Amino acid sequence: MMDDELFYAWLDGELAGDEAEKVAARVAGDPELQARAEQHRRVAAQLRGAFDPVLQQPVPAPRFGSADVVDLQSKRSERDERRSSFGVPQWAAMAATLAIGIVAGQFVDNRSAAPVESREGMLVAAASLDQALDSQLASAGNQDAIRVGLTFRNHDGSICRSFSGAAGSGLACRNGGGWNIEGLFGSTAQGDYRMAAGDDPRLAALVNERIAGEPFDAAAERSARDRDWR
Amino acid sequence: MTSPLPFDSELAAVWPRLRRFAYALARDAADADDLAQMAAEKAFRSFDQFHAGTRFDSWIFRICRTVWIDTIRSRSRRSAHEAPAEAAELLGHDPTSATEAAIDLGKAMTAMQRLPEEQREVIALILVDGFGYREAAEILDQPIGTISSRLARGREALLTLLGEGG
Repeated sequence: MMDDELFYAWLDGELAGDEAEKVAARVAGDPELQARAEQHRRVAAQLRGAFDPVLQQPVPAPRFGSADVVDLQSKRSERDERRSSFGVPQWAAMAATLAIGIVAGQFVDNRSAAPVESREGMLVAAASLDQALDSQLASAGNQDAIRVGLTFRNHDGSICRSFSGAAGSGLACRNGGGWNIEGLFGSTAQGDYRMAAGDDPRLAALVNERIAGEPFDAAAERSARDRDWR
Repeated sequence: MTSPLPFDSELAAVWPRLRRFAYALARDAADADDLAQMAAEKAFRSFDQFHAGTRFDSWIFRICRTVWIDTIRSRSRRSAHEAPAEAAELLGHDPTSATEAAIDLGKAMTAMQRLPEEQREVIALILVDGFGYREAAEILDQPIGTISSRLARGREALLTLLGEGG
């Protein structure tokens, strides 16, 4: 039986020269050890792979430059405010399971048609939500499960649309041919009272932060749709 | 200053890895983002103690781990009772197929949380980030033998947690 730590050290490339060769030879001659090496390599690769999305999230490093401590403090309180409204970094970070489990899962029962998906570490609109954002006009005033509220351009010039459903509300902005979810807010239903999702102050604050200029009127919204929200 | 804002450029180079380390240590994304941010701030304030010619990544990871122990960890503990059942339940609600070999970030973070801290930090440094045993030993201020045995135990536990052991 080989010493575990020696085996792992070999697996991690920590052994050199003779020692490494000895272990390699023993593993080569022992199918059980080979299988074990393979299993541990696989688990390590899975673990690394699972954390990869964090590396790819477009979260810029804080810059200090001439910043002083007071600035840092005020930045932190700004961040805390954003955090309480579930700003993008937190959402994007936990995209895969948690976000979908908590909020998006409530949008529909059928999980294969979940309206929000995680793709490459980003939350994007899918299924009914993607469809509503693509085609629905706020002025339509229909009774669909998902209603589109405001349409506007953000500071990057992308078109964003707020939406709401029974489970909550959110904001999505156009990215390529899809919609990135920029914020999702669970409904604040309490007892019989359910806040009209579009009135959620957290959504209003997010819209306020992102909007450049005025929201689109019905004509602008329609013509934006005709140009595929570009 | 010989070059403009050396701290900012050092930080920018290591930032994605620092965030990943924070995610590997912390209970949730909010704590992880706070941890990375606070580590960066603390490192900035202590930058005069950084020895040029040594590894900036090891230095700031060590700071990150200290911040974790001193602040974020205790905060997580205080609120730990709020979430675990829910988090465990969510593992079963993963919309991607459970039969896929890949595991997602949420599942990986939950598995890491179930490891004892001393194993979690070793796994985070060596398996997730790819530090060598010696660098990990320096960051954690432990002998290599300790690192090696914690890593072995953590690995065995991970096999079970990530579903390979059963």
